[in-house]
Amino acid sequence: MENAQLISLSRQMALQRQMDVVANNLANINTTGFKGEQILFEQYLMPVARDKDFTYPDQPLHYVEDWATIHDMSNGAITLTGNPLDVALNGEGFLTVSTPAGDRYTRSGALQISNEGTLVDIDGNPVMAEGGQVQFDDSDTDITISPTGVISTNNGTKGRLAIVEFASPEMLTREGNNLYAAMDGTEGLPATRTKVAQGAIERSNVSGVAEMTEMIRVSRAYESIANTMQKQDDMRRTAIQRLGSEANA
Amino acid sequence: MKALYIASSGMSAQERNVEVISNNIANMRTTGYKKQRAEFQDLLYQSYRRAGASTSDQGTMVPAGLEIGSGVKTSATPRVMSQGSVSPTEKELDIAIRGEGYFAVQMPDGSTAYTRDGSFERSPEGEIVTVDGYPVQPGITLPDGATGVSISTDGIVEAFLPGATAPAQMGQLQVARFVNKAGLESAGDNLFRETAASGPAQIVTPNQDGAGALLQGYLEMSNVNAVTEIADLIAAQRAYEMNARVVSGADQMLQATSQLR
Repeated sequence: MENAQLISLSRQMALQRQMDVVANNLANINTTGFKGEQILFEQYLMPVARDKDFTYPDQPLHYVEDWATIHDMSNGAITLTGNPLDVALNGEGFLTVSTPAGDRYTRSGALQISNEGTLVDIDGNPVMAEGGQVQFDDSDTDITISPTGVISTNNGTKGRLAIVEFASPEMLTREGNNLYAAMDGTEGLPATRTKVAQGAIERSNVSGVAEMTEMIRVSRAYESIANTMQKQDDMRRTAIQRLGSEANA
Repeated sequence: MKALYIASSGMSAQERNVEVISNNIANMRTTGYKKQRAEFQDLLYQSYRRAGASTSDQGTMVPAGLEIGSGVKTSATPRVMSQGSVSPTEKELDIAIRGEGYFAVQMPDGSTAYTRDGSFERSPEGEIVTVDGYPVQPGITLPDGATGVSISTDGIVEAFLPGATAPAQMGQLQVARFVNKAGLESAGDNLFRETAASGPAQIVTPNQDGAGALLQGYLEMSNVNAVTEIADLIAAQRAYEMNARVVSGADQMLQATSQLR
């Protein structure tokens, strides 16, 4: 009898988790280079709890389990900003930034120049070029970044942005601050299919309509499962009352 | 139920975004104004199941982890330092900088501020000052009766003194450059202050070594583009509404829970 309640509970917990994912996607709908997340569920066959009311066959119980979040790596809209240090990546590549914790990867191309003339991201982490950081000096003007990532100024070439692509972006872990970390053994390969657009940034690829629909679906599903729980509760109460009154009679 | 807090972080971020956009629009006609843009970052992720964790002793592993984020934050409001359009004013002490550089201005407290707003005036003593009366550095004084002031693209100020037939050199205007101009602190009144992030000012001659050229009789307009600002405003407002909907959606779910007996 309790099983129905427990199955409903597993579904409710999964739906709450899903609501969190939808909320996070929508909160980041204007975050530069943000990639939406989707949550996957799978059934979990409960090996111990069995419904013994049926003589044959025994019905195994199916619980719901949230299982994975996958990154939607499709490109976001590219908008022109006119800022020479804004870069948008067209393709599946990532910029490499050097953080105190090691190399991290980002799609957020709102770059800056530090007080020491180093090319940095918005948090001040150096953005890596092939073979090291990019250093500008006082007399550099007219910074241009070519579609292949070559940075040059009026004083010549400064380096080529280290853009990497990953065979399976699902293996990247999100670290917040628009950064992704790669697992050991899944180093990125130099990008071959990613183009750099200067003076533009990539918007978040979250679709407002899709997320709103998803949100409505989640909250309605939640309500209906809550309803089911209510029904089960009522049923049990009726059973207790009726059995109790039969016993008294 | 994290969704409530995540959505509220989204609402406050979009509120910040609308503030930045409205300030840009308010300063659309401000001389030398450089527009700002709000930049956002996602917050920390909670990892429930890590990608790459092994799922059996046969070496199989979790191909995609379960990570749930916790919202968004406004990380910075960098200025877009592109050139604003220059418009003619036919006023002899209006100067626009075409290219890199800032005019240095001596503040009443003795410190130095920097500005792109070149709408200068003469003080009662003949000094070249900003519209607020702060002297432009290096200080240049135009004597009484000096007429026909001309300023060359590389900053040489010349004027005809009474009775003279050839112009006399009054001084040399210079501009300040910064390694990271986006790191300047906004001080209001079209002024910026140097910070550790901007690096120290390098005083250079205009139209040389990458510094911009001076244009006499012109002012630099703001670089705010009304169309893109309005488009950004619409996007920000809709994003705010959607986040508000998530708050009420999460609230409905909580309500459904609390109505269970």
